[in-house]
This record gives sequence, structure tokens and C-alpha cells, in this order.
Amino acid sequence: MTDDKTLGERLRERGVSRRGFMKFCAATASMMALPTSMIPRVAAALEQARRPSVIWLSFQECTGCTESLTRSHAPTIEGLIFDHISLDYHHTLQAASGDAAEHAREAAMKQNHGEYLLVVDGSIPLKDDGIYSTIAGITNLAMLKDVAAGAAAIISVGTCAAYGGLPKANPNPTGAASVSEIIDDKPIVNVPGCPPIPTVITGVLAHFLTFGRLPELDALNRPKVFFGQTIHDRCYRRPFYERGKFAETFDDKGAREGWCLFKLGCKGPTTYNACATAKWNEGTSFPIEAGHGCIGCSEPGFWDKGGFYEALSKGTYGSAEGIALAAGAGVAIGAAAAMGSRARQAQADRKEEK
Amino acid sequence: MTLLDFARGPALEWSLMIMVAGSLWRLVGAFMVRRTADLSEPRSHSTVAGGLRTVFTRMWPRKEFRSETLFGVVAGYAMHIGLAIVVFLFTPHILFIDSLLGVSWPGVSNDFVMFAGAITVAAMVALLIRRLTTPLLKAISGADDYISWAVTMLPVLTGMMAYAHIGGPYQTVLAVHILTVELMFIWFPFGKLFHAVLWIPSRAQLGAAMQRRGVKA
Amino acid sequence: MNRLDAIPIQVEDVGLPHRTENLQPLMQQVEQALHELVEHGAETVIDLSSMPFSEQDEKDLRARLGAGEVNASVMAFGPTLVQESAFPGVWLVEHQNAEQRRLTLQLVVARVPEILMTPPDDLPDSLAALRRANAESFDTPGKDVR
Repeated sequence: MTDDKTLGERLRERGVSRRGFMKFCAATASMMALPTSMIPRVAAALEQARRPSVIWLSFQECTGCTESLTRSHAPTIEGLIFDHISLDYHHTLQAASGDAAEHAREAAMKQNHGEYLLVVDGSIPLKDDGIYSTIAGITNLAMLKDVAAGAAAIISVGTCAAYGGLPKANPNPTGAASVSEIIDDKPIVNVPGCPPIPTVITGVLAHFLTFGRLPELDALNRPKVFFGQTIHDRCYRRPFYERGKFAETFDDKGAREGWCLFKLGCKGPTTYNACATAKWNEGTSFPIEAGHGCIGCSEPGFWDKGGFYEALSKGTYGSAEGIALAAGAGVAIGAAAAMGSRARQAQADRKEEK
Repeated sequence: MTLLDFARGPALEWSLMIMVAGSLWRLVGAFMVRRTADLSEPRSHSTVAGGLRTVFTRMWPRKEFRSETLFGVVAGYAMHIGLAIVVFLFTPHILFIDSLLGVSWPGVSNDFVMFAGAITVAAMVALLIRRLTTPLLKAISGADDYISWAVTMLPVLTGMMAYAHIGGPYQTVLAVHILTVELMFIWFPFGKLFHAVLWIPSRAQLGAAMQRRGVKA
Repeated sequence: MNRLDAIPIQVEDVGLPHRTENLQPLMQQVEQALHELVEHGAETVIDLSSMPFSEQDEKDLRARLGAGEVNASVMAFGPTLVQESAFPGVWLVEHQNAEQRRLTLQLVVARVPEILMTPPDDLPDSLAALRRANAESFDTPGKDVR
């Protein structure tokens, strides 16, 4: 349940000194891509930040988004911010289970009505009245609508919650839908990715804690600060793309020398995310740096955009049969037209001879 | 389905089908049509060689016409060579052709392609201005000429815009670029743009006929 | 037996250093910041983690800056390494977390980076704690108070 300690007080309780707090603020400001002149403001805001009540609903998902956020051994920025929010309901992480868990959720909703943050991961199945995913006998659809009603804002974490994700891939047997397709009367922030970069998830939360509102969003409701540029625009392999140096297979000379992966299906040019700058595992690396092209996991419908190993410049239609048919049709029409012309001329000749 | 999905999917499939059907219709029709018989005595039988020669002799204007036509010829070559570099030597385009026909070849650096593209656009604009301001050319120009110019210009322009990330979100400009290419595919067999295919048989036919009469054309 | 370390791994050193061309503008920025410090006493902090800046760029930067008289480490929420460059007033501050993973790398142009200074709010608490510790050591003479 919520208590009234500020983030600053909680950090000192955990043995984080004021110097440590300054470092924490510098790193948080860097993560939010704020100028260094804003560090004092971040520090002042976070020092006083109260614990927002957060209800985390996990629907039709693989739990990768939660895993992405919670897998760390030492205190990290993400861990501390995550610990600070009052996570009043998270059925994977919480100790309570069964009825007790649902009662905890209802109590938190009632106590913080209109003020709690709703975080959703996983898509919501709609087919057959949504029976393909339920928690405690309640369909995801019903639970989402119920909890969203009293939320201040909704954060859709992961491509499944933001755009439907893997469950929505062709032929979408469960009728999976995104949060935005169901709720239209609350502010929604999409934090897509499969999974999203942990620093991006907590960056959004940190922004909320610092400024009391959600960050500026693009046309797909993604925070511009993290999703404003494509992978291609910040990729360290870009000079190779420009010079026309491409890896042809996964173990050739080009691949070993770190050349551009466009020919191997990299979707970097059409994918907006922070992977090329923030990277993964606390700045260790990202897929392209590890030698595999971007699969576009933060874009809607990325599962159905042609193969992961097909270059972006290839078409996505299926058949050569259509073209063959067209060729046959063309030859037939041309031949028919010519025959018709010859026949008319022959007839005219016969007329002349008479 | 987003605009980009549409452009890479059904629009591509249908435009290619129309281009293939239309091109074969026109070619087969043209070749099968009855030709007026040449009733004179043949002065030479190497009509194939004659035809082939004419394909090449027409690549540069004869001395008598050079001063009048030089600008058009030079600008025309600038435009065609630039366009060939952009279409056939830009790596993403090579990959596209590979996905359709299974053949590929090495490309050149992107900066060089952009340079070629700029030359192409400049030449096309110059040629359009010439067409509009020269009274004779203006008098004989019709919709076919302008449409063919536009469906060639738009892909080059939108392609360069997409590459430079101007004119809107990248996915949208890329989708528009692909759609303008598909528009060109659809127009290709039906207007003067088909000269891209017809120039060889057209010159060869003339050359062969002339060769038969003992004239080196 | 199949073990991961039985897989032969060959690291190819391509020897192609990757530079972002950001070093020169950055050095100009540092020069300007140092000018501001000299003329107006204004301090500047440049966050190198938030701009395109490669490993090679960092190597080049450290080579250009050189090492000065001060080399300090701060243990708070993980180590922070503070190095004054050969140009007094220009410092490199690398914040790391408890697992020694880098959090941010900053170029600080100031008389001293803020992280080295004792936070003012710590001082009253410090005085109270020292008073307590001294009082205890006076109460029990000879007792080893550590």
C-alpha cells in the first residue's frame, strides 16, 4: 500500500548517500536525455517525489517485459525507481495470490481512485467475449475496462500492449487487440519493444515522477525522447551503409568486419527505438552490434512485415503465379489484336481485288 | 495495413502484373502485325547486321543536325545515365530486383548515387523547360509527353527525399516513393515511355529495311 | 561433453577504428566552457553518454586531455572515477554502478566537480555524529573507539 515517504527519504533508508543521490539524478537525467543543466531540477523533484500508486496488469503476454525490468543484481537506476513506485498489484511479482491479491487490487483502486497509474503488458484477446485470457475468472477485457476507469493514465509496456504484438500476428486466432483499441478516454503512453529497453520503461516513470506528467508523444503515442529517431539514424554501422559495404551472409568477411546488415534483413531504417544509443544490458550492446539485423520489434505488426531476413527493399507479396498469368494474358491479347488486324487487312485486300 | 505495407504488397503485385501484361500485349501485337512487303530487288542480304548497325549509329546525331540537337542529346544522356546509376547501382534497388528476378550485382556508394540523382533531376527539369519554351516542341507536345515525364520524375524526386529524410515521416515518404514507382510501372507499356523497350527493335527495323535497299543507315 | 567454452571463438581484429567526428566540435565546446569559467566563473557539465561518441572517440579524447595532478575515486552508489586533465579546470567524471558498469561519462569544466564536494546538507549531520563519537571516546579513556 502507499506510504508517505519521498523517493529521497527511501533512498537514504537504503543507504544511498546524498552524493549517491546526486549520481543517481545525473544518471536519471542522462537516461531521460535531459540537458545537464536540468540535473538540479531533477534532483529537487525526485527528492520530494511521493510514491504513485501503480497497478500493473499482465494480460496475454510472455512476461518478458516484466523480466526485462526486474533482472538486475546490483542496485540500478531502474531497480530503484521501480522499487519506489508503490506496486499495489502485479500478479507475477507480488507475494499475495488468489482472492487476497484481487482484494488488494480493488482496495488500491478505491483508495487512489482517479490518481493511480495503470501499467499494462500483454495484448487483450477480444474473440468469443475475451475468454482466451482470464485472471481469477475475470476476462482481460473486463479487467482492463474496470481498472482503466479510475486510472490517471495508462502506460502500455511492450509491443503486445501497445500494438497487439505477437498474439496479433496473422491469423490472430484470439482476436488480440492493443490497449488503445479498447480504451479511448484516458491518456495512453505506448512504450513498445519486444521487450522494451528497461531504461526506457523507467525513463517514462522517472519523467512522471520528476515532472508530474507524461512525456511528449509522437503520432503512435510513443515518448519522442526515446522513440524519436530510427535505429538506422543512430546506428554505428551507418558509415558502412553509406559506402555500400554490406554483409552478405552471417559469417562472411563483411559480417566479421562489422559491415551493414541491410541485406540480411535489418529493419533499422523503419524502426523507431533507442537501441542504438541506450543499448541493452546497461549499455552493453544491441542486436546489430551483436551481428544480427534489427527485427523492428517496436513497430506495429512487425511479425507480418515480410521475413526478418528479407531486406527492406523487397516486396512482400506472395506469388510468381500472378505475374506468369499476367504474362500469358498479355501475349494472348497481343496475339489476338494482331490476328484481328491481319484478318481485317486480308479482308480489305480481298475487297480490293474484286 | 499501413501505406508502406500496401505499397510493398498488393500495389506491387498488381502494378507488376499490369506492366508485364501490357508490355507483352504491345510487343507481341507489334511484332505479329502484317508488314508491307518490300517488292524491290534486295541489294543486300545482311539485313540483321544492317539493323544492328542502325541501333548504334543513331546514338549520336549526324554532323548536319548536331548544332540544332546537341543540347537535347547531351541533357538526354545525362538524364538517362544518371537514372541508370540510380536505378541499377543503388544497393537497396539491386536487392529489390534480386527479389524479383534472382539476379544481382555489386552497387556503388550511396553518396555517388545521390549525386547521380541530382544530375538526373537537373537534366529533366532543363529538358522540360526546353519543351515548354521552344515553340515547335511545345506545339507537338501532348499529354503523353508530360505524363511520361512526370511518372519518371516523381520516383527520382521522392526517392531522394526519402533518403534525405525530408518531406515527412520516413515510412510515409518511402511508401510514396514505392507507389510512384508502381505508377510508372502501370504507365510504362501504354505511352511514349515504352520507348525504353521499343528503341532497339524500332531502330533495327529501319536499319534492316534500309540495308536491304543498299543504304547504310 | 558439450560445453560452451569448447566452441572455438576467433576474434578478428579488423583494426578499423570507428570515429563519429564529434571530437573536434567537443573540444571547441570545452574551450568555450573554459573561457566562460575564466571570465565569469560559470561551470559547465557535458554529458558524453547522450551524444554519438564511440570508444575510439573516447580513447582520442583521453589522449588529448592527458592526465593532471588529481586522480580521485568516490564510493557512493558504486564507484565514480574523477580525473583532472592536463588542462586544469577540465575534468573527466565517470559514474559507475555497484557492478562497475558505466552509468554516465561527463566532461566537467569547473574548479572542482560537484561530486567531490561534501553536500552541504551532510554537514550538520556530520557535526552531530562527530560530537557523539568524541563524547563516547572521552567517556571511556583508553577504550579503542574505532
